[in-house]
Amino acid sequence: MTDLALQHYLAVGAILFTIGLIGFLCRRNLIVMFLCTELMFQGVAVNLVAFAKFWGNLNGQAFVIFILVIAAAEASLALGLIVLLFRQRGTLDAEAWRELKG
Amino acid sequence: MQDLLPIQFSYLIPLLPLLGAMVAGFFGARWLKQKSHWPIWLGVGASAVLSVWLLVGMLGLSPDAGFGSMVVDESAGPRAGSVSSLGHLAIVQEWFTWIQAGDFNVSAGFFVDPLTAVMLCVVCGIGFLITVFAAGYMHGEAGYWRFFAYLGLFIFMMTCLVMGNNLIMLYLGWEGVGLCSYLLVGYYYDRPEARDAATKAFIVNRIGDFGFAIGILLVFSVFGTVNFFAADGSGFLQQLMQPGFYAGLNDSQKFAFDAIPFCLMLGAFGKSAQFPLYVWLPDAMAGPTPVSALIHAATMVTAGVYMIVRCGPLFYSSPAALLTIGIVGALTAVLGATIALRQYDLKKVFAYSTVSQLGFMFVAVAAVAPVAAVFHLVTHAFFKALLFLGSGVVMHACNDVLDMRQMSGLKRHLPKTRWLMAIGCAALAGLPLMSGFFSKDEIIAGAWHSDVILACVMLFTAFLTAYYAFRLYYRVFQGTPLIPRAAGAGHADLSGHEDHPGHAAHDAHGSHNHEPWIMIGPLVILAAGAIFAGLLNFPFKILPAHQLGNFLGESPSLKLGYAAASQAFSHEAPDAHSNGNSSATSVAASTDESAAFETPIIGHIPPLQFGQHRLQALRSSDQKEHDDMLHMYLMIGSGAIAVFGWFLARTFHWKNRSPVDQTSAVAPGVVRVLENKYWVDEIYDALIVKPLRWLAGAFYGFDRLVVDGVVGLISFVPQFAGFAMKFTTQRGHLQGYAASMLLALVVILWIVLM
Repeated sequence: MTDLALQHYLAVGAILFTIGLIGFLCRRNLIVMFLCTELMFQGVAVNLVAFAKFWGNLNGQAFVIFILVIAAAEASLALGLIVLLFRQRGTLDAEAWRELKG
Repeated sequence: MQDLLPIQFSYLIPLLPLLGAMVAGFFGARWLKQKSHWPIWLGVGASAVLSVWLLVGMLGLSPDAGFGSMVVDESAGPRAGSVSSLGHLAIVQEWFTWIQAGDFNVSAGFFVDPLTAVMLCVVCGIGFLITVFAAGYMHGEAGYWRFFAYLGLFIFMMTCLVMGNNLIMLYLGWEGVGLCSYLLVGYYYDRPEARDAATKAFIVNRIGDFGFAIGILLVFSVFGTVNFFAADGSGFLQQLMQPGFYAGLNDSQKFAFDAIPFCLMLGAFGKSAQFPLYVWLPDAMAGPTPVSALIHAATMVTAGVYMIVRCGPLFYSSPAALLTIGIVGALTAVLGATIALRQYDLKKVFAYSTVSQLGFMFVAVAAVAPVAAVFHLVTHAFFKALLFLGSGVVMHACNDVLDMRQMSGLKRHLPKTRWLMAIGCAALAGLPLMSGFFSKDEIIAGAWHSDVILACVMLFTAFLTAYYAFRLYYRVFQGTPLIPRAAGAGHADLSGHEDHPGHAAHDAHGSHNHEPWIMIGPLVILAAGAIFAGLLNFPFKILPAHQLGNFLGESPSLKLGYAAASQAFSHEAPDAHSNGNSSATSVAASTDESAAFETPIIGHIPPLQFGQHRLQALRSSDQKEHDDMLHMYLMIGSGAIAVFGWFLARTFHWKNRSPVDQTSAVAPGVVRVLENKYWVDEIYDALIVKPLRWLAGAFYGFDRLVVDGVVGLISFVPQFAGFAMKFTTQRGHLQGYAASMLLALVVILWIVLM
């Protein structure tokens, strides 16, 4: 079995990112949309780790640690917001909040 | 000089009132309340003690040591060396560097000389008396603490003004007193006329101060320093007197040098209410009466006179500037006195009188008699403060009414005030042996030396002064008793009796003392000053003569001023003394000339007018006798004129008041002109205010239509774009936004990768 090359990792990252993107564009459920953004995050994170391994330094991994921390913080915030939005409208449909447009 | 205790602690003189003002200002509203006068009393009182101590200490120093080295020291050779010597009664104190920017170097420094000491005594001494009075006068006012805080700040600024060793310090004080004047005139800020008067005072002073600021800049550009004096002779007033100074300037510097006195003069005209800019002073009477007494009669308005005397060498080397000052001063004196003839408001009469008396001081300065100017400044401070405070007492007793048509025969209600006001009026009128008599006479004598017409104008003004002063006195205190009806916010204790003028009202006063000692006490001291201050510079040898002059003569400003004047006018005069030797000898020689009084504009100057009694000794006995005789005749003349004015006022305004109406009916035009104050305010309104308003309106229209139009047009583009996008892209679909972000990302990537 051959060693995994950089492009394999990148392909995984790109696939994760694309799944997240498509999910974000196609689904209307706020929680699912939020999960999709997390997926995109992870795609980027995989990219960074791959590059870190490729270059043989820890810069990328340090970035990822930061991303994870921020993602965790942002997840708690976003989920809290989603709960509140749900309480207001009784639905998770993003279209329910169209009136927020400027 | 350095050993004097008040000199070592001279910084306390401004700082103590400032400290008092801070205590009253920060703690007055909440804690001190009706005790807010205490910090000011203590601060200003301590400054007054220090000032008087300083003055007495300086008087005690031997007047002979080192005197005369400035001008007549012929053995010292060229004057370059002696110009730098400040004399034994002058000292420069530098506390710290205040501003430093390139060559521009200003230190917070004091210059203490006899002129400063005299001014300090006037400012702090009379200031203290007025603060004492004010505690009684302002009792129960809502803004009591505010009033005293401003008063303390004013004394601080005024002491900075008179003590500063450079034009910037002077300017600091100058603007500071202007600010305090603004705040105090507008003290009753709920009254529209007080607000307007405050604004007017501030704006009119701005016009003068603009010129003053330009003058300071020019001084720096010509001399490279703004210090008056320095121990090493680098002060600008000293540089000016260096031989060959003027010849060493280039053309633009010469032009600037010639312009400096005119620029500074403009500031003095504004601050001291001279002709084109006097209009603010009568309106400023809307402030509380102690303020009128302190700021608008005794101290602040004399700052212009002080400044000109301080910069004496500068002004006295420019005959054109002196001529301008003289004309403006004489015009103002006549204008103020004639307007005062037909005013009915007590404080307005005194305001115009102040304008007129300041005109006298300017004439004195212009007639190369600065000692007379300062002398009149001192005596005027006493009697005018007395008169203003006295009218404050009247105002209190009359329910804040000041119209003398509504009051009469107040001598029974205000027996003490009546005599005090009589003393004040007599001093203002220049009745013989009162203080105003001596100082006014000295001015007229100085004017006579310069120009006989000027002296005659001044004599005429002195007559008018005597008339309007006693007109007021007899109108208010003599005749059938009449107490004005309450004008709104009056004292409640009188309101029940206002329909019974005369005795009934008098009885009502029994329950309320209108002459408490806290108000009468300061008046008594001021009255003593108004009587005896004339002895300060008594002209004849039967008493110690020319004390004030001799003391002031030690000031470098006056010493160098005399040198400058005798140089300037010996070149001007047709029979100029053409001695090309050192100018020190030419000074001494020119005073010996017998043709002293035949030169047209300003003949050779009696050194006594600058307090140079050593040089006076060089005058021939003929000249001295001539001076003395002239003085004597003028005294008899001006005394007679004052008595005549008094007599006239007594006839018209006491025994029988109807003839005055008949005489005024003879010339209704004149009466209308005077009652409308020559329509000066209206003329300004038509010539300056209206066109400015029109111009402002035009600018406003341009701004609204053109400038705002262009700006509006530019801002319309993004507005429209946003409006358009609202209906196309921004529809509230979260997915739509994400898709457009993706699209944009693709476009950007495509551009980057290409």
